[in-house]
Amino acid sequence: MKILIQQMITGISIGSVYALIASGYALVYSLLDFSNWAHGEVCMLGAYCCFMATMIPKMPFAVSCVLGIAGAALISLFNEKIAYRRIRNNGSPNMFLMIAAMGLSTTYQNLANVIWGSKFKQLPRFFKTSTLNINGIFVGTTDLLCIVISLIVLVLLLLIINRTRFGLHVRAVACAGSTARIMGIRIDQVIALVFVMAGALAGLAGITYGMKYNVYPTMGNVGLKAFIASVIGGLGSVPGAIVGAVLLGLIETVVSGYISSGLRDLISFSLLILILLIRPAGLFGVDVQEKA
Amino acid sequence: MSNNSTPLLEMKGVEKHFGGVRAIDRFDLRIMPRDIYGLIGPNGAGKTTIFNTITGIYQADEGQILFEGKDITKIKPHEAAALGIARTFQNIRLFENLSVKMNVIIACNMHNRYSVAEAILRLPRYRKVTKAIEERAIGFLESVGLADKADDIAGSLPYGHQRKLEIARAMATDPKLLLLDEPAAGMNEEESLELVDFLKKLHHDNPITILMIEHHMDVVSRLCEQCTVLDFGRTLAQGTVEEVKQNESVVAAYLGGEL
Amino acid sequence: MINSFYEGVIVTCCVNIIAVLGMSVLTGFTRLFSFGNAGFMAIGAYTAAICSVQFHLPFALSIICGAVAAGIVAYLLGSLTIRLRGDYFLISCLGFGECVRVLFLYLRDITGGATGYTGIPFRTTWVVALVCAIAAFIIAWNLIHSRYGQAFSAIRENEVAAAANGIDVVKYKKMSFVFSAIFAGWAGGLYAHYLRHITPVLFNLPKSCELVITTVLGGLGSLTGSVLATLVVQLLPEFFRKFSEYRMLAYGIAVVLVILLRPAGLMGYKEFPDLFKKSGKKKSTGGA
Repeated sequence: MKILIQQMITGISIGSVYALIASGYALVYSLLDFSNWAHGEVCMLGAYCCFMATMIPKMPFAVSCVLGIAGAALISLFNEKIAYRRIRNNGSPNMFLMIAAMGLSTTYQNLANVIWGSKFKQLPRFFKTSTLNINGIFVGTTDLLCIVISLIVLVLLLLIINRTRFGLHVRAVACAGSTARIMGIRIDQVIALVFVMAGALAGLAGITYGMKYNVYPTMGNVGLKAFIASVIGGLGSVPGAIVGAVLLGLIETVVSGYISSGLRDLISFSLLILILLIRPAGLFGVDVQEKA
Repeated sequence: MSNNSTPLLEMKGVEKHFGGVRAIDRFDLRIMPRDIYGLIGPNGAGKTTIFNTITGIYQADEGQILFEGKDITKIKPHEAAALGIARTFQNIRLFENLSVKMNVIIACNMHNRYSVAEAILRLPRYRKVTKAIEERAIGFLESVGLADKADDIAGSLPYGHQRKLEIARAMATDPKLLLLDEPAAGMNEEESLELVDFLKKLHHDNPITILMIEHHMDVVSRLCEQCTVLDFGRTLAQGTVEEVKQNESVVAAYLGGEL
Repeated sequence: MINSFYEGVIVTCCVNIIAVLGMSVLTGFTRLFSFGNAGFMAIGAYTAAICSVQFHLPFALSIICGAVAAGIVAYLLGSLTIRLRGDYFLISCLGFGECVRVLFLYLRDITGGATGYTGIPFRTTWVVALVCAIAAFIIAWNLIHSRYGQAFSAIRENEVAAAANGIDVVKYKKMSFVFSAIFAGWAGGLYAHYLRHITPVLFNLPKSCELVITTVLGGLGSLTGSVLATLVVQLLPEFFRKFSEYRMLAYGIAVVLVILLRPAGLMGYKEFPDLFKKSGKKKSTGGA
């Protein structure tokens, strides 16, 4: 029982990292109707930015984190400005956005490999003690930190989307882009800001993930997991992405704990295909009939 | 089966809803073979939705659609084509990056049967069929006056030619029923009169029945004997074009508009 | 008569040409994206290897078994997923490819797990590879120019119009998917009989990405473009050793540039011979 609780906490903590990335997927998907494959690499680059900042002497770790988040936000914005916006304005098929994203993802992953090499880089930890013992249940302090930070940030995100004027604009563009434009919303600006937000979330995820498992060029593959999470929740739905992420984190840790860690990815991908078949729109998505 | 008594297409109480909106409401239609039938109504009246339920793009929520007496309510789009229902689209849907000829060849292929093995090995039947189809395609292009453009890219044609190509492509599936969705859209007076002549000739030369959606009343009155007027998914009037023009509710709905 | 370096280069090129031709039919002509084709290569490779080693089947038969196995799996997977919309289909293929890799790692008794499957006889000489690549090209070319390929192109151009003209969209998409899997399986089987030792990591996600990247670089809708792009992608790092470190980086950038500047790829919808045709008119041969 105690082991189960321990694993649940680990699962929720990894799930909360997925949730940070998955909500970025969902935001971008809700606006542009495409899966931003480069998002995982934004997360990885954010972690590296943070790592580089920690190398500067006397730099407080908190400031490094902020720099990492800012770096990720900038890269995300860069992707939008340099690639996605142009493709949208070309009138190219939506599929091309995905190919461009895949190209960016390959580029960043290999760029990181060229610059920093494939060796693991270690981020400092916030706390001296790595585990707490609560009534015989061992809980990682980094895990707790992940959960708390993600919780705060995600609540903030949901508040921004549902309570602010900017959030209203985001929802309007997601709902009907061209109508929103007529109503005087500057779509490109809204989209750019969403990319900044998604990038910042990914950067934060990269740093927390990096604290848990170190920083390495292929860590962007965590983006795949986050993508699965957002599919489970329903592409384009932020709350769905969060629920899907926590669910996936729990399933993964339980599978590695009780069945086999080798089969962990097999099970999460099978789950993905299963959900796509049973509920193609995900748990929270709405299936819209396309007008012919 | 006597052609005089069996309608080619019959729709009985067909309904289609999108969320809370009734796109078509208890719609009835009888089209006899060789008719040219008009479907009139303002934008959003549900005309294209009717086409989409006939061709299987949408499934009707209620009611029944019969084609030559056979129930086709639950048909799939490619099955509708195989039965002999061809259509054009309001916003033209060509295979834009393919050649004009290829657009028609693809439609001709519907009645083209050679196996994968014959194709990969280029066996005699493949060669024979391919040659025959190419000639057939050129024939259809000639009938719409596009034969000299056969090698152009479809998307590069001017608008009027694209409409004609779409009709040629629809004819290449060898249809019994041809559904035309606003064939005169975007045409001026002169062009639409030319279209009327063209469609009359098409109807005369081929054993087809035409159901068309059209806004231009002059086109409808020159071509169609019977028509149905729709508004917000409901049938306002049904009858000959002259009868319909006199109908009070039609006049009220249009209020000095296009009629 | 040919040294082992050049033999390796030729075999690698030919194997990749076969796999990329499959992708080209699927992506360039039917516009379906799959990030799981390395998975089909793996199925082909392991099936062919096991047929050779365990069951002592003749080489040609082993290769056919591998290709057929990949095709059958693609048919089953396609029956489930082909109806899904673009990115869902793509992610399901990606998931499938990863599942295959993980499964082959896990089934140690059959596949040798992470250490790999060894003792495969060397059968894919450069002659065999070249003959196979040429045969694959002819098959793909003839298929694309038949009514089947024309149907694929019609689906790429406009699904609704394709269906309205009697094309069973689901059936033809599935066919295209199975075709690409058979080619991938064929390539995998040949590769196994060249390397003599295969591991699941050879067929990982980056391999699938490489196949997609090559196809995009060659131009969506051009078989000759696919072959050219494969040669470029495979040969550059062989002859510029220094380049190999930056290889994937360069391809990533190239893909982004191609999509931004020449979305139809290096060749566009044109086949290589078209470039030499003297014709004032614009010609289109995408599936023509």
